[in-house]
Amino acid sequence: MSISMSFFSPPTPTHLLISFSSKPHFTDKTIFFLRPANPLLLSAPKVSTDNGAGISAAIEEPKAEQKVAEPAGSAPEGEKSSLGSNGAVADAGVKLESKFVDPRWIGGTWDLTQFQKDGSTDWDAVIDAEVRRRKWLEGNPESSSNDDPVVFDTSIIPWWAWIKRFHLPEAERLNGRAAMIGFFMAYVVDSLTGVGLVDQMNNFFCKTLLFIAVAGVLLIRKNEDIETLKKLLDETTFYDKQWQATWQDETPSSSTAE
Amino acid sequence: MTSSIAFKSFTGLRHSSAEPPKLHSQLHNISPPNYCQRHLQITAGISSPKLQNRNLRVAVIGGGPAGGAAAETLAKGGIETYLIERKLDNCKPCGGAIPLCMVGEFDLPLDIIDRKVTKMKMISPSNIAVDIGQTLKPHEYIGMVRREVLDSYLRERAASNGANVINGLFLKMDLPKGGKGSETAPYVLHYTEYNGKVGGAGQKKTLEVDAVIGADGANSRVAKSIGAGDYDYAIAFQERIRIPDDKMVYYENLAEMYVGDDVSPDFYGWVFPKCDHVAVGTGTVTHKGDIKKFQLATRNRAKDKILGGKIIRVEAHPIPEHPRPRRLSDRVALVGDAAGYVTKCSGEGIYFAAKSGRMCAEAIVEGSGNGKRMVDESDLRKYLEKWDKTYWPTYKVLDVLQKVFYRSNPAREAFVEMCADEYVQKMTFDSYLYKKVVPGNPLDDLKLAFNTIGSLVRANALRKEMNKLSV
Repeated sequence: MSISMSFFSPPTPTHLLISFSSKPHFTDKTIFFLRPANPLLLSAPKVSTDNGAGISAAIEEPKAEQKVAEPAGSAPEGEKSSLGSNGAVADAGVKLESKFVDPRWIGGTWDLTQFQKDGSTDWDAVIDAEVRRRKWLEGNPESSSNDDPVVFDTSIIPWWAWIKRFHLPEAERLNGRAAMIGFFMAYVVDSLTGVGLVDQMNNFFCKTLLFIAVAGVLLIRKNEDIETLKKLLDETTFYDKQWQATWQDETPSSSTAE
Repeated sequence: MTSSIAFKSFTGLRHSSAEPPKLHSQLHNISPPNYCQRHLQITAGISSPKLQNRNLRVAVIGGGPAGGAAAETLAKGGIETYLIERKLDNCKPCGGAIPLCMVGEFDLPLDIIDRKVTKMKMISPSNIAVDIGQTLKPHEYIGMVRREVLDSYLRERAASNGANVINGLFLKMDLPKGGKGSETAPYVLHYTEYNGKVGGAGQKKTLEVDAVIGADGANSRVAKSIGAGDYDYAIAFQERIRIPDDKMVYYENLAEMYVGDDVSPDFYGWVFPKCDHVAVGTGTVTHKGDIKKFQLATRNRAKDKILGGKIIRVEAHPIPEHPRPRRLSDRVALVGDAAGYVTKCSGEGIYFAAKSGRMCAEAIVEGSGNGKRMVDESDLRKYLEKWDKTYWPTYKVLDVLQKVFYRSNPAREAFVEMCADEYVQKMTFDSYLYKKVVPGNPLDDLKLAFNTIGSLVRANALRKEMNKLSV
């Protein structure tokens, strides 16, 4: 997965390939990157990953003998053919279970001194880096280790950085929608009933419509949201219904409530 | 507060049909504590026919925690009790965790507990690890037991109180036919008795009893006999791994919980320390076919810590997700896993099994006036009422937690982040160890709600960025 790593950590693209398509050349780079030069060693860890008894980096190779014994217990070499879809020996390097490595990720958290821009921390870059790390881990789950525990906490990123990056664009979009709906409805109601904007605001029915419009803009942001909201409503009461089922029939002769 | 409101909706559903008016008015005073139930005992007993020359006969099918606790309470209450268990040395595949209150409530000897877990580690999908347990007082712990030890202890205690323990496999039950006299007609149980001395396939036998408590677990045959309906269930898969001693030291009194889509889409993976090995497992409701894949992922996540271990046993078992549609039918009641009393979120079942067994037995003892009178369905319904009222808040809170925090990876990240908060830890352990949903300080609750929303929002925002990355 060094290819993916290069994709996710731009500062060190030099000796790593950037594109996914260059797989055949990859083995050489892998060997170069991972220092132990023995291709057999590279394949063994990959195989044991399949068996689930994996070794996280080639450096831990000496522990190969102590792998968690599999009930199937097949020899590592024999498993080479059962590797992923690509099946080539080169893939032994591709899927090598290497940990997430990034020069700015030190001691289980992001080293904020490396994210300086114009004298202050570039929080956007920190967010980007964490996103890449999580994306990487989702595709390549790693063993959690006691020797280098992850201690990163998203709350070190200040609240205004979150708001500026995530909340404001969405707020702009929603306010835009609300403004468009509001203007259009005010115009339509005025042309149909002759009631001006100020008089509309004093009318209870119009105020109700306004409330519904605002709630709609806030809750329904994508087409799928209508279905999601309906399902959520069902979900909140589903467990209650399951518990109440036994009370639906008290006389033994009535039919099953299921 | 909310529990009583929720409970009112339960009682609202009841049609008060054939009950005498005296009983009916008494029922509205259920909320006051237990001693009020003693009053009910006297009035309820009056309506049932008195048994001539014998005590009430009750059979408990299943000899696990639920069955053992029920049989003990029945026997102590003077009822002729039969406990039918198919495998007296059964090692039920189980996490094996019991809360502190169970030790006190059931007078468990401390040597039953193999380990006292006082620390837990929650590990998020991105391997952010949070230690919880700092708020525990020195005397507080989660007990890890071996099921075969606990089950046999409870059964033996039941036997020493007068219960008849039968080693047999329950086959089916003949229900009393409806009509006149059916209130006192017996239930005929068909079972195969295994005789340890003779061995072999066992003899078919029958037993006539007046009431039955079904404590035979997730695949309950008693439930099938009364048409209790089905429930959704999770598959829990577990491997017991003996790891090297130096690695075992780490798990001395620590249990781990791994969350993530790789480990389980709707549950969690765990490493629980047992007497001399660890149990590594995971579970799922929705993707049962992928359980092996999830187990592999769990082992992978704990890899460094269990490296060098040998798998000594592989086991799996269904875990109910919610109660069966019918937990009671005439004079047959379900308790424990058979009823579906496993909490969501944590998947805890041992305590609730034992407690429900005890509660049901207590209801039978009271309803029958210590075995002197016949019971009827309304006496057993009292157990359901009491159970729902006492534990509904616990179940509901855990259900909400599961729905909110086990939804997706961002939710799990938020969950682990929240666990770092001391207030959360205190609330979690207090409610887990003592089985009471305690409303905490409102100001702290508000801060907690705020922080929860903050964590969820942040995690979901990161997830949106992650999705953009893949495109």
